[in-house]
Amino acid sequence: MNLAAKISVRIRQSAALMRGSIMEGLTFRTSTFVTIIGNFIYLVIVYFLWRAIYDSSPSDVVNGMTFYDTMVYLVLAAAMFNFLDSFVVWDIGRSYQSGELVEFLVKPIDYQRFLFFAHSGNCVVSFCITFLPTFAVIYFVTGGSFALGLNLVFFAVSLVLALVINFCVDFMVGTICLYTQSIWGVNIMKEVVVSLLSGATIPLAFFPVQLREIVDLLPFQAIYHTPLHMLTGANLTVGDYARGILLQLFWVFAMLCLSKLFWQRSLRVMTINGG
Amino acid sequence: MEPRKRGFGYYAHIYKMILFQDIKSKMSYRADFIISTIGMLFTNIAGFVTFWILFLNFPDIRGWTYYEMLFLYGFAMLAMTPVQCFFDNNWNLNRSLYTGDFIKYCFRPVNLFFYFISEVFDIKGLGQLAFGLGTLIYAWNKLSLPLTPQNILALVIGVLSASLFMIALMNFAAAAGFWLLGATSVMIFMFKFKDYARYPVTIFNRAFRVIFTFLIPIGFMAYYPSLYFIRPYEVPLFTFLTPVFGIVFFYLSYLFWMKGARQYTGTGS
Repeated sequence: MNLAAKISVRIRQSAALMRGSIMEGLTFRTSTFVTIIGNFIYLVIVYFLWRAIYDSSPSDVVNGMTFYDTMVYLVLAAAMFNFLDSFVVWDIGRSYQSGELVEFLVKPIDYQRFLFFAHSGNCVVSFCITFLPTFAVIYFVTGGSFALGLNLVFFAVSLVLALVINFCVDFMVGTICLYTQSIWGVNIMKEVVVSLLSGATIPLAFFPVQLREIVDLLPFQAIYHTPLHMLTGANLTVGDYARGILLQLFWVFAMLCLSKLFWQRSLRVMTINGG
Repeated sequence: MEPRKRGFGYYAHIYKMILFQDIKSKMSYRADFIISTIGMLFTNIAGFVTFWILFLNFPDIRGWTYYEMLFLYGFAMLAMTPVQCFFDNNWNLNRSLYTGDFIKYCFRPVNLFFYFISEVFDIKGLGQLAFGLGTLIYAWNKLSLPLTPQNILALVIGVLSASLFMIALMNFAAAAGFWLLGATSVMIFMFKFKDYARYPVTIFNRAFRVIFTFLIPIGFMAYYPSLYFIRPYEVPLFTFLTPVFGIVFFYLSYLFWMKGARQYTGTGS
């Protein structure tokens, strides 16, 4: 098979998986509806909490962030969490425990690619139904506190890269489940570490310097902090955007390699155990 | 024929038997148990770190100091322990309704709600208990609150009453699954409220203060009962009403849950 035909098969495979998962995502409407209400209430709580916090502060700008910056950052982080949280860890863990995993391994498609596209449709659905409305609401609630220009383009690109990095983290953590036989515990640790160190619970700008230096060396900040900073940060130059994207690209590459390597090594171990 | 009324002793006995079975089966997955406990500890530590970072940047929130907020935090964590330990099986309700497994609970000659809930005892909650207690004692010391028998009794009653609200909230959320498909999202939504229970209700405006007092009563999960200890000179009426409201709210959630269970028709398989 020549290269062109190979690529066309790959694209058709991926498109089919994506279409399927979009339909799946559209089926569970209750959960979408609840998520939207949940986001709204979260928005309200974040608003009052940070309003109170900023009111008690002597200055309007803390660590370079105004009240509105913080709000946009946190609300959009929560909205991102909805479509980034793809249950990949549960998928891998459950299919390993039930033995179903074998069925995927004999299929003529790379398991990691299969999982990515099988979840991508859900991300697309949840992006359109929950993220975009939240985005619009927060824009109007804060009276247009962030610019709508070049930053949006970089934000969009950065979001896609964040999705891939997050997927790789999930995939690696899912692979850990092959050893531990514990899904809940491993998954909750991941969720805690990612949401704290990526700035999703409290913006990284508030972190003490030493902690910030460590966090900057880890891939997690590239998931939430980088896109959100690109969107809300004031006076960013094209050079700043490019640096952010390049760093994300580095992490995409590094995490893809790492997760693939880890998966292949683990498969060998798993075969020995499974007999 | 009217079924014979069974007393508290009978149910306590059954609970003990089911509890031992559950712990035995959990212990056979030791690695899972240990990792889950560590995972739980992670969430508690992360919550603590968030708090710490927040107060590094801001000295107080609307007149609430770090240690007072820490008191609320520890109190909330203690109040969330019973729902974690004893009522965790609610998380499995939706799945068992969907697969049809739920029908097995309907054929036992004991209270349906009791039997379903007693099936799982979540040991992970004990880590939370320890962490919450530690936080509370630390804050208690730093605020130099008096340690009188009266205060300790009030603390026990306060925590127990506060815990009823979260239990009730999760009962409502889980029972929504009797009518809705995919009600797990409702549970996730409600469960998030436990994170906001640790803030004083006074940060909200009037409308949301009413909502968070009567509709989604997160105000009772830490704020109102804690006032008794940390602001003894301005205790509102709601503080003393916490046990009453808690029992009423829990009972309503029980009725709602049972109403759903009674109209469950199974999956036909």
